[in-house]
Amino acid sequence: MPALAQRLDNVPVAASVQMTIKARALRAEGKNVISLTIGEPNFDTPAHAIEAAHQAALCGETKYPPQDGVKVLKEAIQRKFRRDSDLDFSLDEICVSNGGKQCIYNALMATVDPGDEVVIPTPYWSAYSLMVELMGGVPVFVGCPQNNGFKPRAEDIDAAITPKTKWLMLNSPNNPTGAAISAQEMRAIADVMLKHPHVWIMSDDMYEHLLFDGFQHATLAQVAPELRDRTLTITGVSKTYAMTGWRIGFAGGPKGLIKAMINIQGQVAAGVSTVGQAAAAAALDGPQDGVAEQVIAYKRRRDLAVAALNACPGINCHKPEGAFYVFPNVAGCLGKTTAGGRRLDSDLDFCMALLEEQLVATVHGAAYGMSPYVRISTATDDDSLTEACQRIRVFCDGLR
Amino acid sequence: MQLIADRLDRISPSQTMAVHAKSRALKAAGHDVISLSAGEPDFDTPQHIKDAAIRAMQAGETKYTDVAGMPSLRDAVAAKFKRDSGIDYKREEVMVSNGAKQIIFNAMMATCMKGDEVIIPSPCWVSYPDIVSVADGTPVLVPCEQNQGFKIRPDALEAAITDKTRWFMLNNPCNPTGAAYSAEELRPICDVLMRHPNVWIFTDDIYEKLAYDGFKPATILEVEPRLKDRTLTVNGVSKAYAMTGWRIGFVGGPVQLIKAMDKLQSQSASSSSSISQFAALEALNGPQDFIEVMRASYEERRNVVVSMLNAAPGILCSKPEGAFYVFPSIHGCIGKTSRGGTKIVDDEAFVTALLEEEMVAAVHGAAFCYPGHFRISYATSLQELREAMTRIQHFCNGLI
Repeated sequence: MPALAQRLDNVPVAASVQMTIKARALRAEGKNVISLTIGEPNFDTPAHAIEAAHQAALCGETKYPPQDGVKVLKEAIQRKFRRDSDLDFSLDEICVSNGGKQCIYNALMATVDPGDEVVIPTPYWSAYSLMVELMGGVPVFVGCPQNNGFKPRAEDIDAAITPKTKWLMLNSPNNPTGAAISAQEMRAIADVMLKHPHVWIMSDDMYEHLLFDGFQHATLAQVAPELRDRTLTITGVSKTYAMTGWRIGFAGGPKGLIKAMINIQGQVAAGVSTVGQAAAAAALDGPQDGVAEQVIAYKRRRDLAVAALNACPGINCHKPEGAFYVFPNVAGCLGKTTAGGRRLDSDLDFCMALLEEQLVATVHGAAYGMSPYVRISTATDDDSLTEACQRIRVFCDGLR
Repeated sequence: MQLIADRLDRISPSQTMAVHAKSRALKAAGHDVISLSAGEPDFDTPQHIKDAAIRAMQAGETKYTDVAGMPSLRDAVAAKFKRDSGIDYKREEVMVSNGAKQIIFNAMMATCMKGDEVIIPSPCWVSYPDIVSVADGTPVLVPCEQNQGFKIRPDALEAAITDKTRWFMLNNPCNPTGAAYSAEELRPICDVLMRHPNVWIFTDDIYEKLAYDGFKPATILEVEPRLKDRTLTVNGVSKAYAMTGWRIGFVGGPVQLIKAMDKLQSQSASSSSSISQFAALEALNGPQDFIEVMRASYEERRNVVVSMLNAAPGILCSKPEGAFYVFPSIHGCIGKTSRGGTKIVDDEAFVTALLEEEMVAAVHGAAFCYPGHFRISYATSLQELREAMTRIQHFCNGLI
């Protein structure tokens, strides 16, 4: 066989996907596995979004879309940015992609040359660092310890920036920790970034609406308008409207960058499914009460999971501000042996043993750049989550 | 420090944008412009396919699918390859992407390293060389003359292969020429490729169902199954089922390369729209009679267009085997001056004057790496085509 490119050598299959596949295999053996690995809402797409897609298909909106997105959706996105974040974008400052992931990919591909550095607060969504490496860039990690609520400190970001830095990537609320950055904390980060005019800033706000206890979302371009000319704000409909399968993400940012991203998208995949775009426009413009209902459910599950996990010996779980993840520390479990006789030396050992002995699938923190932690998705029904937490309790109680 | 990556400079600026922009402006000003520049069917997606998509969205099939596509769709693709071309692919040798373009991108990113050469017969779809360049490869264009039916000669292919050749890319039937290869014509090309075991083979068969006068386009693996461990067979639903807006392409190939492409797609965009995948599933598994209706209609249009173009002085139009394009030569018009006073110095001047003076929009050959010609898409009504050809005749008659 002819050769493959070296750039793929270091790219693994996403850890969450690997664990999902393992859980599926155990399930196929007839085992009652509870999967807490997936970053996907367990709600349905709103009926009015489905109806819009239905109408679009019926009336023949089945032709190539413009590569930057259909006008109706771009106008809805324009209103959304204005409504939610006080951000005014013209239509040529907005682009639509096949999911938020592709927006990030297009942006990095359009800007990162080999050797360029990208500052990534850690823990991070694993796709960030892998994409940077695919472009030949160098990820530079900034630790966000649990005792700071898993949030990046402005001074740590400052210290990580060099003349080679091309991007700072922010993700609030965060996957995998659920940590969200307040307006005040964001202001401090903005002040640091003002000192470094050669750096682009990405604000991945995919979970912006999933916030609890009255916490207000703060996005960089809103907090610091003076940084707008180099800030890219990315979000989508997947998490807010339970529309993961539709694959619609979008970005607002300076015209030159958006144009370059569209140019890349033209080479990578061209436009995005037309019926999906019609559904997304309806979701953005339609009634928003479904979002509030989901937030209530996610908050209830977060509280349930945090309380149950903190009752497990060896586990210490921080209570996050948002998203549908918790990221408990399992340091107190390491060095011990499970009821099934497995020695736990790492968070990966913990997750594997938990899956095999108690049939609960989770993802180890190392996959997100921070150990020893475990990511638990609360995007499942209350009963399954309660049962899973009980199994984790049994697992921890059995450690010697 | 530059804010945009070097790789963007390697993408050729869009050759068609100027013509498109002018065409839009003229239309907006109330002129009766006939556009023959679109690369998509003028038919709507068949109703049973839309119905399948609508059923899927109403049944809550709105979640992430496997990155490589739903198992049911991958099986349907494997069955399609077996049915149409006698090729045996297992599910893990098949993957689904956001349009066939994303497959090209995945394949090139997964294999091309700096300095690797990719052989592309020209005229070609300009995305081929652009994507190769974005992936750090070097496109090597092999011109295919009109008097050879725009098909690559085996000896020209042999001469173009070097130690650095990574890929040979074939588009059969071809955009922009409509040229298609029979099994007999592919045989000597396969013989050349058999002698070069380090070369990957990419065959883009997206127009395969659109062939005329009983011509049957063949695909590489039908002719030479021994090339299977290094051939990607690319196809999709866009052209055969009038589904360009749904964005579903697919590929069969050796499992190791498919795995690498899957990994890459998992990091760049993840899965394609679940709704579109259900539509594609119905397209492949449902009734196929729509294709013949569409094909017969294109054949009639092709015949009208070719004969009317050949009646225009200075134009020489071959009758192609497939697709919905013709790619006439305008060598006989070069150096002349139009009624409106434009000197026809090249193909770009020709299409610009044709648009301004006769309100017919076409694409010049340089946009397909082959000057001295222009591309007409006949995926429009017979009535419009007759009117457009009359205008072209009028234009050519006026050249002095």
